[in-house]
Amino acid sequence: MSQAEVDTTQLLKGVLDLAVLAVLADADSYGYDVVRRLRETGLDHVGDASVYGTLRRLYQAGALNSYVVPSDEGPHRKYYGLNNRGRKALDQSAQTWASLSKALNHLLNGRSNSHGK
Amino acid sequence: MASNDQASDVATYAATVRAQLADLPAMERDVLLEDLEQHLAEVAAEGEGSLVDRLGPPEDYAVELRAAYRAGRQTTQTTQTTQRTQTNGVYLAESVRAAAHRVIDSDWARQVVAFLPELRPAWWVLRGYLAALILTAAFSRDHPLGPIPNPATKRGLAEILAAGVAIWLSVRIGRRSRKLPQGARVLAISANVLIAFVALAVLGNMHTFAYSELIGTATPEQAPFNAAYAAGPLTNIYPYSQDGKPLTNVLLYDQDGRPITVEQSEAQTIYPTGADGKAITNAYPLTQRHMNGDPAVAPRVAFPPWPTLSPTASPTAIPSPSPSPTR
Repeated sequence: MSQAEVDTTQLLKGVLDLAVLAVLADADSYGYDVVRRLRETGLDHVGDASVYGTLRRLYQAGALNSYVVPSDEGPHRKYYGLNNRGRKALDQSAQTWASLSKALNHLLNGRSNSHGK
Repeated sequence: MASNDQASDVATYAATVRAQLADLPAMERDVLLEDLEQHLAEVAAEGEGSLVDRLGPPEDYAVELRAAYRAGRQTTQTTQTTQRTQTNGVYLAESVRAAAHRVIDSDWARQVVAFLPELRPAWWVLRGYLAALILTAAFSRDHPLGPIPNPATKRGLAEILAAGVAIWLSVRIGRRSRKLPQGARVLAISANVLIAFVALAVLGNMHTFAYSELIGTATPEQAPFNAAYAAGPLTNIYPYSQDGKPLTNVLLYDQDGRPITVEQSEAQTIYPTGADGKAITNAYPLTQRHMNGDPAVAPRVAFPPWPTLSPTASPTAIPSPSPSPTR
């Protein structure tokens, strides 16, 4: 693993809950599909185990509901979706993230501006 | 990949991951790994190559899984460990707290804590019953305290109703109390504790009593035959002659010449009326009807074996042991 990859992994850890909740707010989904959609968004280094563990934790915390969808080809799939509690958690985390990223952008912009002068 | 190989690949991979996480508390492990196989099967079904190729070694997978699952949960414990290296006093306090934490964190403690909320409805029912019991106790200061509903008092039905209403109310309150604000919560918990303590006091004062105590107090002018009868309340007397013939209208009197009467039972008693128009209450057996209208019938009895018994024996004849019975 390169240094850049390690950094991404560390940063991602804190916001993986938010990312998973956001994906599920879009549409109900099963474990591997969540991984795929996160990677399609650009989060290339998100690990399958991290997503699965996060799903199980959020489910146990009561933020998700889950149901099994039979599939003709291949195994049954366990879908997860947001319930009211999950939507509330998403709203709160999204707000926190917005203010945090605003602050960080501000800091980084200041740095790049002064750097550019 | 053939689906058979896929299945065995999933099974092997999952088994290794499970083994790596064997040290987790059972409940946590169950939740985390409940559908690991299903998830891995989904992964295997949508791509080429073995699981090890695509997900990395199962040992690494287990490490990542543990980290992701515990991310939001174990922060307090890690800070405790880092603080261990402080002064001795703090270290002692920390180790005590850590020990307490281990107990709270242990499997059985988790199971107990997880089970407690399930007892909540049972407490609601008990609470309603206890409230009815306390009310009954408050309204019957001059009676011996008994469990309710008490079939031996005239309030039995009222007590059943009161207990029913109280339980219904209590459950209703319990089901709604989850959204209470903080202040009201403290008040509600205090009220629950108060009910439990008052009920304990009431139950403590409730003494066990003999049945004779239950069936009422004797009035001075008439002495009901209710002093003590081990089998329960005495509600009728069936006299028989020595040879087993049922007798009717046998008048019974006590040692002072007062008529002996028995306690009223649920059955309705029809007393014969004397020439003076007054009811004769001590002519046995009493004619009684049950609440459903059926006449009360004499019980089956086992007669004692007399030493000798001849069909012509009169009640005054004193049986004398004879060496050669005449039969």
